[in-house]
Amino acid sequence: MITLDTVTKIYKIKDVKKVILDQVSFTFDDSLNIAIMGHNGAGKSTLMRMIAGIELPTSGLIERNEKVSWPLGFASGFNGLMTGVENVRFVARIYGEDTERVLASVQEFANLGRSIDLPISTYSSGMKARLAFGLSLAINFDCYLIDEITAVGDRRFKKKSEVELKGKILNARVIMISHAEKTIRDYCENGVLIYQGKLYFYDTIDELLNDYRKFC
Amino acid sequence: MGLFRLIWLQVRVISALTLRETRMTFGTSHSGYLWAILQPLVSISFLVFLFYLIGRQAPYGASLALFFSTAILTLELHNKLSTSLMRAFTSNKSLLTYPMIRETDTLFARLILIACTFVMINCLLYGGLIVFGFADLPAHPEKMLLAFMVSCFLGLGIGTLNAILFQCNQSWQHVEKIFARPLFFLSGVFYIPSALPPEAIAVLKWNPILHLVEWTREGYYPHYESDVLSIAYPLSLAAVLTMIALFWERITRKKRV
Repeated sequence: MITLDTVTKIYKIKDVKKVILDQVSFTFDDSLNIAIMGHNGAGKSTLMRMIAGIELPTSGLIERNEKVSWPLGFASGFNGLMTGVENVRFVARIYGEDTERVLASVQEFANLGRSIDLPISTYSSGMKARLAFGLSLAINFDCYLIDEITAVGDRRFKKKSEVELKGKILNARVIMISHAEKTIRDYCENGVLIYQGKLYFYDTIDELLNDYRKFC
Repeated sequence: MGLFRLIWLQVRVISALTLRETRMTFGTSHSGYLWAILQPLVSISFLVFLFYLIGRQAPYGASLALFFSTAILTLELHNKLSTSLMRAFTSNKSLLTYPMIRETDTLFARLILIACTFVMINCLLYGGLIVFGFADLPAHPEKMLLAFMVSCFLGLGIGTLNAILFQCNQSWQHVEKIFARPLFFLSGVFYIPSALPPEAIAVLKWNPILHLVEWTREGYYPHYESDVLSIAYPLSLAAVLTMIALFWERITRKKRV
């Protein structure tokens, strides 16, 4: 369960004030796979970062009692100078997982071959995304936060990630940001829309997409 | 989360970060770490050798090399902490993607790494001096250890303040650099502070590093007694600065994104 309690988030940079969330109270039920949609700049990634716990709201409280992943997206938390192996070991360590098991699992999934011994700065964005994705799958989270990353990779990889992620969802759940209708229908049954500082919950994806098309 | 699990989490995070800092700072080859020790060692030795050639008498004791080393090692530790911690937040921005890593963890990891490196440098330099007959064994090593720990404490406070200021305004890195050179002359590196005229002492005693240097000397030499040394000063300054710095860091965390 992830609970937002009168959360407000305002960005104020050099006289430009942007209200992302305005006194929002909401609970992400841990049995639901929820999609987050909104127009560009509405605050989807910010909301995800706050849910993950890596950004603080301006006011209000966010409570979580499940093991939440870091937001999986293209802006990865990798250090470019270090190799893939070193970054994987680092993340495994901070999550208290067995480094060798995680490394083996990532190697098998991401299929980077010898590149895993090279610095991350030499990777293409697709390779980085595959590594990040493989890494998060290797660690057993209760809640996977996905920021438009499932679209990466060739057809074979997409198929593999779909199978893996669906396997994980049997025991965990997903909170996903995406603009692609098919992806959302594939993984989520419910959704929220961020619009003008408020969160709107929908019981079905159809209703979410209707409002998304109408307002965004 | 229970208290025990929280402590275990903190230990995990700091040790992972420290390992990572080691990798990043010293490269992927083992020789990288060698350089971390070699570079300060060589530059200190060079200074010592230079003054030896000029033929100056040691202000205290028989060995100029030892007299210098007691000061320079402390000074270098402080400078290293000051500059390295200043960049702790900005170098590790990508790490903050992971929820359990807080900005303060990056500070502690760097502190641990630098402290360990300097323990080695101290041992090697003093060891070398002893082996080649320039020095005897230290008389009160426990005093030296205490001085070292307070130096680390002070470095933490000052380094954290630098980090916050640097993140607010990049120009701070230039201001920070300006302090390093005067410190070299104000810390008693090549003179005995107690032997200076009272007007000079009145000003110099405000430099906490001077006290740490004198403390180190009281620890090494059997009979060195400093009229200037006040242990309470660097210790309380370190405590106050660190407290202010960590408090300030926490308060401005939301805004410093």
